[in-house]
Amino acid sequence: MEQLKDFTTIEQMEADTAKLKEMACAACAETWEDRKVNQTPQCKFGEEGICCKICSMGPCRITPKASRGICGADAHAIAGRNYLRMAAAGSAAHSDHGREIAHVLHKTSPDGSYHIRDEGKLLRLAAEWGVATEGRDIYDVAHEVAEVGLMEYGKPFGTLRFLSRATDERKQLWEELEIAPRAIDREVATSMHMTHMGNTADADALVRQSLRVGMADGWGGSMMGTEFTDILFGTPTVRATESNLGVLEKEMVNIIVHGHDPAFSEMVVVAAETKEMIDYARSKGAKGINIAGLCCTANEVTMRHGVRMAGNFLQQENALLTGAVEMICVDVQCIFPALGPLAECFHTKFVTTSPVARIPGSIYVKFETETAMAQATEIVRMAIDNYENRDQSKIFIPESKQGAVVGYPCEQIIKELDGVTNSHVDERGSYMPAIDAIKSGVLRGAVAMVGCNNPKVRPDYSHIEIMKELLRNDILIVATGCSAQAAAKAGLLSKEAKFLCGAGLRRVCELVGIPPVLHMGACVDISRMMLLVTDIAKDWGVKVTDLPIVGCAPEWMSEKAVAIANYVVATGIDTYLGIEPQVKGSSQMMELITEGTRKLTGAGYVINKDPHELVTAIIAGVEAKRAALGI
Amino acid sequence: MKLLFNRVFDGADEMYAIAEKTLNETVAELGESAPINMPNTGYFLANHYSYLGKRVTTMGELKACFPEVKSWMRHEQRLGDAFKSGFGTVMAAEVIEACKYAKSSEPYGDEYHGHLSDAEVRELGVPLVTGDIPGFVVIIGPAPSDEEAVELIKGYQSRAIFVFLIGGIIDQAKRMNLSMGFPVRVVAVGPEIWCAAHIISFVNRAAMIFGAVQPGDHEAYDHYTFHRIRAFVNAFDPVADIVVACGGGAIAMGFPVITNDTKDMWPVPKSLIIQEDTKNFIETSLEARDIKIKVTKIDIPLAFSAAFEGEIVRRNDTWVDIDGSRMDCFEWVRTLEAHEVEDHSIELIGPDIDSVEPGSRMALSYVLEVAGKNMQSDFEPVIERKFHNFLNCVEGVMHTGQRDIIRMRVSKTAYEAGFRARHIGEVLYAKVKSDFESVVDKCQVKIYTVPEQLKALRAEATKAYDARDARLLSLTDESVGVFYNCILCQSFSPAHVCVVTPERLGLCGAVSWLDAKATNELDPNGPCQVVTKERVVDENIGIWEDVNEAVNQASHGSLQQVTLYSIMVDPMTSCGCFECICGIEPMTNGVVIVNREHAGMTPLGMTFSEMASMTGGGVQTPGFMGHGKQFISSKKFMKAEGGSARIVWMPAALKELVGAKLNKTASELYGVEDFVSKIADETVAEDVDGLAAFLSEHEHPVLNMEPLM
Repeated sequence: MEQLKDFTTIEQMEADTAKLKEMACAACAETWEDRKVNQTPQCKFGEEGICCKICSMGPCRITPKASRGICGADAHAIAGRNYLRMAAAGSAAHSDHGREIAHVLHKTSPDGSYHIRDEGKLLRLAAEWGVATEGRDIYDVAHEVAEVGLMEYGKPFGTLRFLSRATDERKQLWEELEIAPRAIDREVATSMHMTHMGNTADADALVRQSLRVGMADGWGGSMMGTEFTDILFGTPTVRATESNLGVLEKEMVNIIVHGHDPAFSEMVVVAAETKEMIDYARSKGAKGINIAGLCCTANEVTMRHGVRMAGNFLQQENALLTGAVEMICVDVQCIFPALGPLAECFHTKFVTTSPVARIPGSIYVKFETETAMAQATEIVRMAIDNYENRDQSKIFIPESKQGAVVGYPCEQIIKELDGVTNSHVDERGSYMPAIDAIKSGVLRGAVAMVGCNNPKVRPDYSHIEIMKELLRNDILIVATGCSAQAAAKAGLLSKEAKFLCGAGLRRVCELVGIPPVLHMGACVDISRMMLLVTDIAKDWGVKVTDLPIVGCAPEWMSEKAVAIANYVVATGIDTYLGIEPQVKGSSQMMELITEGTRKLTGAGYVINKDPHELVTAIIAGVEAKRAALGI
Repeated sequence: MKLLFNRVFDGADEMYAIAEKTLNETVAELGESAPINMPNTGYFLANHYSYLGKRVTTMGELKACFPEVKSWMRHEQRLGDAFKSGFGTVMAAEVIEACKYAKSSEPYGDEYHGHLSDAEVRELGVPLVTGDIPGFVVIIGPAPSDEEAVELIKGYQSRAIFVFLIGGIIDQAKRMNLSMGFPVRVVAVGPEIWCAAHIISFVNRAAMIFGAVQPGDHEAYDHYTFHRIRAFVNAFDPVADIVVACGGGAIAMGFPVITNDTKDMWPVPKSLIIQEDTKNFIETSLEARDIKIKVTKIDIPLAFSAAFEGEIVRRNDTWVDIDGSRMDCFEWVRTLEAHEVEDHSIELIGPDIDSVEPGSRMALSYVLEVAGKNMQSDFEPVIERKFHNFLNCVEGVMHTGQRDIIRMRVSKTAYEAGFRARHIGEVLYAKVKSDFESVVDKCQVKIYTVPEQLKALRAEATKAYDARDARLLSLTDESVGVFYNCILCQSFSPAHVCVVTPERLGLCGAVSWLDAKATNELDPNGPCQVVTKERVVDENIGIWEDVNEAVNQASHGSLQQVTLYSIMVDPMTSCGCFECICGIEPMTNGVVIVNREHAGMTPLGMTFSEMASMTGGGVQTPGFMGHGKQFISSKKFMKAEGGSARIVWMPAALKELVGAKLNKTASELYGVEDFVSKIADETVAEDVDGLAAFLSEHEHPVLNMEPLM
């Protein structure tokens, strides 16, 4: 009877991309598709992880003739070291983002640019960390909490505070395996040290450290980033928004915020909403100012302000190719250096704001906490001034956009679940309604869909195909990062997406009033997913590894994804990957990251490049977990 | 534990086997050409017709459909299959029942009701639409005891829920001589579980008759029943697989099943609820199906009608005078979590009104605690303000004021008729539940009469009142797009209209701009309407063409013009329930403000009551104006005449209450610090000479202002 009428297919998305590619050609602009062709074939040794250039005796690579590098490191050692270095870099990136946020928290003041928006969360965290709150000014508390958080990066002794949130079973296991992370920076440094020339050559030890440095991210830097961001900008709540390039406005000043750290983009959003700026834009002939997000900055600002999302990782060049973007303002991570030359083909101003991401061809405005609001206003003004420079002949804005409902952190999920409790028999404030739905079979399980885009596969195709199949099979999805954005573009974050679901999930969506794919935030918010799964295990009274809940990153590409995959596996959640980690040249490493970790943490990778085979494996994995539970 | 879906599948198979046997035997006995005519329906076998789109009129056609029924009973571990098997079970059940009707047009005689006629479906159309029948329950018995069976049925009856009975509970009801039948809304459908087919047939015909759902469009039936038919099932322990299979169909249609059986039972939120305490079936079920019972009768010994709204209880007729101007009496609505509210709990904490001598004063306050999924704190003052109307509707009870200046008189007649403190709770409960049903799911009332307790509670309530007022501070008349009018008081003062702006709350002090906005949202046709402010005439005095038009319309023509910021030119009118009144003092060119609690004299030579009589009733009296306390510190207070610098006298208590805010305003407007200390009060002057001396001594800014007249 009713169905999703305007679900956006991958073919429709690709048609938009093709049209934009024509615009690129007309403007003599190069895109990732061109560079991908230029890079093909890609280096086999790099791909398989058996090229070592850690010391200047190298590069060494493993071939049938040469089974060891000059120092004697074999394929397992080389692949293992490369893998650990990826994990360490990923952990460093996420955690440094978390650290930046901690510094912002430390600089909050009632009359500054940054304030405390979620006092409750701050006070809960203060209590958790033993920071005194009684009779203290909230900003004093915030500053001390920030300091305690910052100490987590470099404290000389002990393990991370957030580990205490885990289940007892996990805490004990991590201690036994010696993978409970110590200070965040220490795990990164240790990883770099272990992989330095002349150190660890044992693949098993390298994989264990990968788990540990990953944990330093997921149960350390990322978790802190998420918590502090909520305290600073408010814990997200449900909001309606829109997604895909159709959110760009023909007659407005379009400013795109892109990257991961929301500290500055929050200010840009606020500045663009001031009457002064809106009036200024009008004085320049625009109808207003339109902020749109890209990548995880989009996820952050959409779930706190409803700012619309232009798209995910591989959409960043497309956005500029519309010719209608006055400015792309970036912070950190996943920013193509290609934006520099690309912006030059259009009137677009490319603004970098972080010393961590300095890119040629950009205007560098070093964002300072103290002057953030004034800087943001200046930047918005610069974008408005640029409006008149648009070249009408270069403008093409695809019409595609989908409505989306976003903003389901753990707190919101529990609130939604409270809505289906019965006050005469149920307790509120727990995940029990979801657990009951899973136990009875109404929901078969849940999958955390995460990760990037990767040109190695058809962009967004794996995300969307896998999600649709999971929905058909009554498997609830929680999503973050570029995966969540792929879902948004397709229409899977709309409540109407229930019509794509099996009867069980559809009924759950109808009763609870949620879309079948729950947007939990940016990639840093995968830490939310760890808490979600942990608390479900606690409420259910089973181990995390028993739950019919798994993770899936079908199009991952960044080092952060390697760190994430490691902490997800360490947390006890099977992780299904659609891109092979670059360790294929070592049979031992392949065994270690799939079955090896399973023996340690009860979880491992399942790898399959075919999305349809991968989703079949996911469903089989979920059903196997159910069978083991007797449900 | 046996899996839930396996129970459905086994139950479906069981029903199918019984249907197959019955079908084969009946075909053998009657032949395939034997007609099937369900009595008094134009919808054939309504379930077959609905789900398969097929018109079954003979045994042969019934038999031909049978394989298709089987095809609905797939056994994959998915809810979709459990649902479809449930519908298959319903159709199989209909086969069994159809065979009975093929053999006899009255297979149940007088014992059971069996098939329901189309006329009966149509008869329920109107009460369903109006909500007079808030829902249906199907009880599958037997209950633990005969007594409990009847208690449950009567419980539903008293809530106007339509009751269908299947199985053992019917015998229990009969043993207890319960009157049953369609007219009393308790229908004994039949003895076996397959009789459930009649109820589903009834529901599916409702979908066709009222919802114009097309036969064969299976999903449309689910959609209609899920959203429109407020039905649910109560199934008593033990619940066999075959009942679970029928339950699968019921749940698919959106009808939750509530059971006390725990064996191999899997709770599913809002769908399959295990309630071991059968005494709690009714409340659990109503919540599960989101049924809110519309309270129509109020349990008080007096008449309740709008006819009594304007009734006055005179001092000599008063049994008890609950006087907020002298004692800690207040009314307060607050929101709690659902689990903290026991619906319809009315608690009296302290002595009742029978503990006092006739004609006495007494301290009494009531706190209404509400919970609701759509409840917002914005609605609290809106609900609270309605108490005045609600309580006034009780014969022999008079209520004035709001917040902590309420005054309520209970007449001797009312007392003698049995009216006691808890009846205040009954009235508030009943009216709040019915008038605010869109936001209040649960409601309880606590009535306090112990003075020491009242003091503490009043402080708590005051905090809440202050918080509401504080929210308004961030809003200004210029920053909002619209104002609102408020005609809540028109029951007393038919010509009066308040124009409520962010910086000028209603004169009663209880309707802020936010309140008015919330009221408008709650009830778009209610007492607060949007007033646009697009055509400005004079922003300083506060004249807008559209405001005048709105006032003219809402006062039914008795008021043509008002200014929002002047007390000299077309001041806003008063109903009579103002918190304060201000009046000009010609000698000093200032104004005197007095609040209702102040009983003493003012330098105008008039008390509050005397000043109040100068205005009120919707009459414009230049120079006198009723207003809310919070308006005193507003920058819009007498803006046209120079603002709050005109205030020369206020009672000390009022100065204390508004002092801080007023000082801030004066500092911002005039650069005058500690302005309140320049305002005289009853401790320094109760006459004009004393007042004038005080003002010059303290260099009151009014001395340098232009004459008022």
